[in-house]
Formats: sequence, C-alpha cells, structure tokens
Amino acid sequence: MRNVKIRNWVIGGGTPVLLLAAWWLLSANSSDPFFPPLETIIVRFQELWLFDHFQSDVLLSLGNLFLGFAIAGVAGVALGFVTALVPPVRWMIDPLIHFLRGIPPVALVPIFISLIGFGTGMRVTSIALAALFPTMIATVDGIRGVSNDLMDVARVYRLSRKERVLNVLLPAAMPHIFSGLQVSLQVAFIVMIASEMLGSSQGIGAMTLLAQQSFMTADMWAGILLLGVIGFLVNILFSLLKHKVLSWYIGSRRMARAA
Amino acid sequence: MKASIRPYAFSALGIAGALAIWQVLAAANVAGNALPPATMVFTTLASILGTGMFWSALGATLGIALLALAVAALAGVAIGLLVGSFEPVRYATLAVLEFLKPVPPIVILPLAVLVLGPTAEMSLFLVVFGCLLPIVMQTVDGVQGTDPVARDTARSYGMGEGEILARVVLPSAMPYIGTAMRVAAPAALVVTVVAGLLGGGPGLGQSIYQAQAAGDYASLYGLVIVLGVLGLLFQGATRLAERRVLHWHESYREVVP
Repeated sequence: MRNVKIRNWVIGGGTPVLLLAAWWLLSANSSDPFFPPLETIIVRFQELWLFDHFQSDVLLSLGNLFLGFAIAGVAGVALGFVTALVPPVRWMIDPLIHFLRGIPPVALVPIFISLIGFGTGMRVTSIALAALFPTMIATVDGIRGVSNDLMDVARVYRLSRKERVLNVLLPAAMPHIFSGLQVSLQVAFIVMIASEMLGSSQGIGAMTLLAQQSFMTADMWAGILLLGVIGFLVNILFSLLKHKVLSWYIGSRRMARAA
Repeated sequence: MKASIRPYAFSALGIAGALAIWQVLAAANVAGNALPPATMVFTTLASILGTGMFWSALGATLGIALLALAVAALAGVAIGLLVGSFEPVRYATLAVLEFLKPVPPIVILPLAVLVLGPTAEMSLFLVVFGCLLPIVMQTVDGVQGTDPVARDTARSYGMGEGEILARVVLPSAMPYIGTAMRVAAPAALVVTVVAGLLGGGPGLGQSIYQAQAAGDYASLYGLVIVLGVLGLLFQGATRLAERRVLHWHESYREVVP
C-alpha cells in the first residue's frame, strides 16, 4: 500500500519534469522557425518580462483584469440580489440577461472599441461587463436555492430585512456566488487577452500577437508561457481564497457526508 | 390566470424599454455614428440575412463548432476512460491536466495562427483544444464515481473488463459527460467566433471583425445580435439533447411524490 503511494507520487511529480526535459532536449538544436529551442524561449522570457516590460505591460494587464473582475463581482452580486428578491425586476430583465449571456463575451469587444476607443477604459469595461453575468446568474440561483425553513426561522426570530439579507441569505448563497465568481474570473481573463489582441499595442496579449505577426517566434512563445502561468496562478489563488471563505461550508458538507 | 400573465407582461415591457432606451440614446447622438439606432440595425440585419455571404459564414461557424465538438467529445471520452481506469496514468497526467485546465484556448491562438494560418483548420484546432480538457476531466470524475458494488457485481457475473467498461462504467459516467457537453457546446461556439475574430478563421467572427474594421456599425450590432440568438439556441439544444439521452438517470426522472 505504501509502495503504491510512493509510486504514484513519483509518477505524478516525474511526468511533468520528464515532459519539460523532453521539450528541452528535442528542441535543443531546432531550426524550425515555429518551434525554437526552449532555451531561447526562456532567455527571451527573462529578457522581456523580468523586468523590462513588467511594469508597462504585465502590471497593466493584471491591473485591468483585477479592476474589471472586482467591478463585475460587486455589481454581479448586487444585481443578483435585486433580481432575485424583487420579482418585477426579475421578470423585466430575465429575457435580456439571457440574451446578453448568449453573446460570446469576446464579440462585445469590437462594440466597446467603436464606442469607447482603444484605451484602458474600453478594456476594463469589456472585462467587467463580460464577467458580470456568471456571477449575477449564480447569485440568483444561490438565493432561490435557500431553503424555506431557513427563511421561516429568520422570520420567526423577527430579523429585519437587512439582517435577513446580510446574515441569512448572503452566507447561504455564498457557495453558489463563489462558483459564479470563478467562472467570471476565467471569462475576465479571456476578455483581458482579447481586448488587448484587438488593435492595442500594450499589454501581454498585444505583445504576444504582435510578436506572432512579426515572426518573432521566441517572443510569442514567451508570451504564451506567461499567459499560461498567469491563468494557472490566478485560478489557484482564487481556489485558495474560496477554500478559506467557504471553510465552514466545506466542513459542514464533510460532516454531513460522514454522518 | 391574471397572475400568470404578469411575468410575461413585465418581460415584454423590459424588452420594449431596452429597445426604446437604445433608440433614444442613438437619436441623441451620444456616441456619434458608433451607436446606430435600433431601427437601422434591424433593417440592416434584415438585408444581411438576404445575402449568401452571411449564410456561408453562419454555415462555416456552425460546421466548425459542431465538428470540433464531436471530435472533442469522442477523443475526450476515450482519453477520460483511459485516464480514469488506470491509476498510474491518472497520476501521470494529473499535473499536466491541472495546469492546462484554467488555460483558455485564446492563449495559444497566436501559435495556432502561426502554424496553421487563418484557416478553418486553425479554428478547429482551437475549439478542440478548448473543449477537450473539460470533457476529459468530467469523464475521469465519472469513472471514479462508479459504484464499486456495481462494478464487483458485474465482475462476479463474469463480465470481462471491456464489457464492464461499456455496460457499467460508461453509463454511470454519462451524467458527468452530459454536464461536460452542456458546458462545452456553447464554449465551442464562443471559441469558433474568437478564432474568427482574432485569428481570421472563417465564419461570423471574421464578419464581425470586417464590419468593425470597415466602420459598418449597423452590421456589427446586427451580427452580434445574431450571435446572441445563436448562443441561446445552442444552450437550449444541448439541454434538450441531454435530457433526451439521460432520461433514465435519477436527476432527470419524473419525481413521483
């Protein structure tokens, strides 16, 4: 049993190392213009991102991402609450929301470019609007899923409306809200890249696409690597936050399962 | 009776209100010609719908999205069954899959355009890349979630490994695969549009890019409306298909109180 566990760990940790080593060795003397040696890519990665373009492009992209995501998160939860608690509002905007959600988020970027231009405002707006819907819809689902018993108890204890919203509904809907936020974060990341690729000259996405168009393949690979790492890290950080905030929920679920 | 009509009345009011606001904002010229009036967009849309170019772009978008979805589904389920059934394979692929899962296909778009050019193959590749991993991961979860008792029962009835896989493991993983497909189908449409918009692949994404580059804003809005309707149809169709294929499963059975 112990041996199997050790074997699994070795396999799990060894495979990525092996793959990277294979990439390194196979590409070492590559003269294929599309697939330069990994060594060249890493050198370019270091030259470009650490820290020549770090402030001008990397921080810019990340700033847009977080600002847009933060706006989307706050607005999404607030709109979700209003929509779920006030039926006329829900009836009024439900079809519109569903229609807007059907539009691929990236397809909204050209519209914002024509309305606002190519600046930072356009990028943050695109990110915020595209990332709004997953959070909002998840919030509505979360509130509708709150059990009637819980609301009855809140009423019996004569909690005020504010207390009911903040102390009962919000925590009960939290697991749903966080799943929505996670989807929003992925959408925000995609739209961040897309808004930079469509006719902008700054940001990681713009630099990566420009490198491709000018056949600077190693630079393009460096950009892809950086974007991949950012996508992965952002997701990991959010998962950690989610575990921390929802630890009561995860714990109660585990207890319920064990019982 | 009256109460059941009210939601629809409010919905109609909401749609009419949104269109009215749009019309007024456009008439007030808040954004110059970048915000064309709703009436103009719909007349332009009607004339676009009469052109062969629109229908061939629509056909290309749907063709690429559906073909890539089929490829991703077949490959994803096959890989998922393989990864889920053998523990060493699962551990070997764990790190790679976990790293690639949050990486959207738009990240490798420059590479795909570089190697394949602005072609249908490029779009296909990106859509398959985007849809494959979620399907693989869900299938693996489904295989892992197979009831061990059902598996042992099948074995004690003398079923071979292949038969167990086809008759016990695959059906019990079906709801997971269904969920993955419900997520993957709209995603396939989105990635096809992205590949056209940013990579120049054929389809509606390319049409949108051309409309924007030419400053033809009425067509731009019209095409985005088409995409919204298309997205809704995709979501509806996958939900319907899922219900039909999985009608036997607990979560879809009619509940008899």
